[in-house]
Amino acid sequence: MRTPTLFVLSLALLTALDLPGQGRRRGRPTRATPTPTAAPEPKQEEKKKEPKKYTAIVGGDVYLGTGQRLTGATVLIADDKIDKVGHNLELPEGTTIIDAKGKTVSPGFVIVKGAGMGAGFSAPFKDTVNPFAFDIKQGLAAGITSFLAGSTSSRGRIGGSNAVIKLAYGDVEGMVLSENSVVGISVPLDRSAREKLETSIKAAKDYLVATEAYPAAKAKDPKAKAPKKPSGSDQIISVLQDKARLWISFGGGGFNPFRGMMGGGGSNSDVASIREACEIAELFGKGAVIEKPMNAWLIPDEIAATGSSVIISPRTRQAPDPKDPERTGSNIATAAILAKAGVPVAVTCPDGRFGGGGVGTNGILGQDLNTPNVDVAYAIRGGLDDRKALRAITLDAANIMGVGDRVGSIEAGKDADILILDGDPLHYSTFVITAVVNGKVVYEKAKEALYRHIARPKY
Amino acid sequence: MSMRNTNTLLILSALAALTCATTTATAQSARPTAFTNARIHTVSGETIENGTLVIKNGKIEAVGKDVVVPAGAKVVDATGKTIMPGLVSAWSAAGLRPPTVRSNTPQRGGRGRRFRPTSRGSSGSTSSKAATKVIDGMYARQPIFGQLLEVGVTSLALTPQGSGFPGLGAVLNPAGKSRDELSLNDEAFVQIGMQRSAGGKKVLKDMFEKAKKAVEEREKPPAPKEPAKKPEAKPAGKPAEVKPTGKPAEKPKDGKEPPKPAPKPTPKPAPKESEKKQDPKKPATPPKKTPPKKPKDPNVEVLADLLQGKRRAILQIASAADLLHWRTAVDDDVKFPRMVAVLRHDSNSGTIDMVTEHLKKWECSVLLPPSLSTLPRTQHLTHPAKKLHDAGIEIGFAIGESPAAVRNIFFSLMELVRSGLPADVAIKAVTQVPAKALGIDKRTGTIEVGKDADLLLFSGDPLSPVGKLEQVWLRGSRVESKK
Repeated sequence: MRTPTLFVLSLALLTALDLPGQGRRRGRPTRATPTPTAAPEPKQEEKKKEPKKYTAIVGGDVYLGTGQRLTGATVLIADDKIDKVGHNLELPEGTTIIDAKGKTVSPGFVIVKGAGMGAGFSAPFKDTVNPFAFDIKQGLAAGITSFLAGSTSSRGRIGGSNAVIKLAYGDVEGMVLSENSVVGISVPLDRSAREKLETSIKAAKDYLVATEAYPAAKAKDPKAKAPKKPSGSDQIISVLQDKARLWISFGGGGFNPFRGMMGGGGSNSDVASIREACEIAELFGKGAVIEKPMNAWLIPDEIAATGSSVIISPRTRQAPDPKDPERTGSNIATAAILAKAGVPVAVTCPDGRFGGGGVGTNGILGQDLNTPNVDVAYAIRGGLDDRKALRAITLDAANIMGVGDRVGSIEAGKDADILILDGDPLHYSTFVITAVVNGKVVYEKAKEALYRHIARPKY
Repeated sequence: MSMRNTNTLLILSALAALTCATTTATAQSARPTAFTNARIHTVSGETIENGTLVIKNGKIEAVGKDVVVPAGAKVVDATGKTIMPGLVSAWSAAGLRPPTVRSNTPQRGGRGRRFRPTSRGSSGSTSSKAATKVIDGMYARQPIFGQLLEVGVTSLALTPQGSGFPGLGAVLNPAGKSRDELSLNDEAFVQIGMQRSAGGKKVLKDMFEKAKKAVEEREKPPAPKEPAKKPEAKPAGKPAEVKPTGKPAEKPKDGKEPPKPAPKPTPKPAPKESEKKQDPKKPATPPKKTPPKKPKDPNVEVLADLLQGKRRAILQIASAADLLHWRTAVDDDVKFPRMVAVLRHDSNSGTIDMVTEHLKKWECSVLLPPSLSTLPRTQHLTHPAKKLHDAGIEIGFAIGESPAAVRNIFFSLMELVRSGLPADVAIKAVTQVPAKALGIDKRTGTIEVGKDADLLLFSGDPLSPVGKLEQVWLRGSRVESKK
């Protein structure tokens, strides 16, 4: 009886109060992000000639993903976007109604790092996705509707090739939300790499300033030359322009055969490395995303001051150094401490000993890895606020992947990626009853062989 | 070494002897042959019980219940036996590999398992040589064709291998002994292979874009101003090209020239001469001569023919996912006569029946592996062929390219029929449907008056385990078994 109570949300959630500490979030003002996906847009315009198809999810307790919950509300979906959310909505004629009375409705879970689930192995992902992959259904059954696939780190310089994949079963074009909305670098950097990085960031900044000044200069002097883009700076520029998020991972220290055994990227994430990551974030002047900093709980305010976000693997353990047990090792409260300091947190699963490194259905550990609410449960156990915990697998995760304007919450204008659940989204025995991606029902528990034979235990 | 060589020689000569033995019986004279009291799967219509089938001069002369046996006809009493059209194989690579001698080593993996069509997806780069004739890469002198004929394959395709546009496929006469005898049509269809990759999709997209432009060019009215403008070099150059396009496109249909090098030179000389005639009039032309004379890419021309409906295509697609990817590369409004060929049920990327609605839009037939499939990671059986048939899509079956696989085809069909596919659909799927895809349905694939007498005679029903293939007739001649 004790355990469930840990997870069940308190009724106090009904208040629409914003989260404490959020005001301290700096560096990433809500940006009118330019949508990186150019391809699907024109198609949608073509389709606009047809009347919109409306779907309404009616009567559920709607977790908006922003921290709010609306009881017995309706979510109206127009084609593939959320049209309206609220009480007593007027439904257009011909609306398909999905009854969610007595159920909860939540944004689809967003997973900061995944593998499989229909994603290809390399860019361009849009040409290799497999919309009929079986693990898409497994992912949907776990509540996942989007995840980041591909590589995010590159040693010594900014790099990575990745895409945010949506589990839009049966829809090739709907599966890729954006390509390369994340660029990565891994620390520690050696001195020459660091110097090189500093120079190229400066060159990129100068270029952007010059570009901004160029139209005015041209008006004065028609012969003025357009500023030349420094070579190889595309990814840095995209970070500076808020078109991509910078992820900083740890583990640049050469090949370490025991890394996997130690639970992944944490092995090099001592305080010094985290500080280096913060320094890099400050070089950009943009909040970065720090991947799995095991000792982050020691310097939460320093991280918060850079406006950075953090990806935590709450299940990963790292033994403290016996010489300094108070200030080393992992801490179950890391997520809670960071959240309290105002750092947006996303959770992921531990790296598998035999591969993995992301939520997925591959690897020897198998299917249990793709249950985001179980991973976040560990963070809740460490003291993370329930509302923030849900954000850690929805909106904050989406922001961390640079797609917060498209997915991660139930708000008008966002993609209709919605779960209907038979209980609290964070409860470990909650099942996804229906999953909707891009406005289409793509998973129904009762119709798929995966979990239809399991009834949710009643307490 | 020498031992092995002599062995090889021996075996080769033995094979050669066998091949000779397979030759069809002496060409039929005018004397007709009549099969009486037979159960006849006409495929084109109803199955006829106790029917009579008369063949003469290699053609079907009469078929029906009340057909009178002509005087002087050789009568084959087929009481209790079943006659159906010969098998048509619309996907076959038999002949594309050099004859291998390995009869003295036991085959591993059981009958029919040795060669698997593996040209799906990942292998190699995507080619764009649509105008290459696959038959030029064929190893004609080998016993495989005769062996296939013996087990009932009376017409077969020679399918170019690879993704993209690997070339023009041929239709073969399995009784042939040389390239010329084997070849019935050396450019029967355009083979297209879908590969799920950025490169593969780009090749498809680009080539069809080019082909569309070529079609636009062709369909431009031949500009009545043309003769007037001719003296002017530049504008005349382009319309002048329109004319030759038609020619080289049609020329290869007669199909005498060799493939890769030839088509290029052929279109070239024509415009050259015409321009040379004009040249003397205008001294200024020589420098301008080069741009309009850019030779037509025969590969694009082949595709332009396809888009104009002058050719047909066999479009190899591995899975439902690949079909969706095809649609992102090539618009649905790019229409051409096609059959979709799926050689393996790939439930991990979706079996092709998951995109039935798209296939319906294409109005194409679908060639399937003759087997049931399973839901991914389960033993739960699915029946893609039945699902497609129920949706109103014409289905064919790939019957395999080795004699062992072909012998097994009737067992496979049996299972599909037992699982709910109508028997007549199963028979049609190995005869008429593939014949249509190869463009030989006017000549074979059904038992109708006037068609080639390509017949299989079974001791019982072909779909019964005790029905044994007793006789194969190719264009009115009984195929002698080598045994």
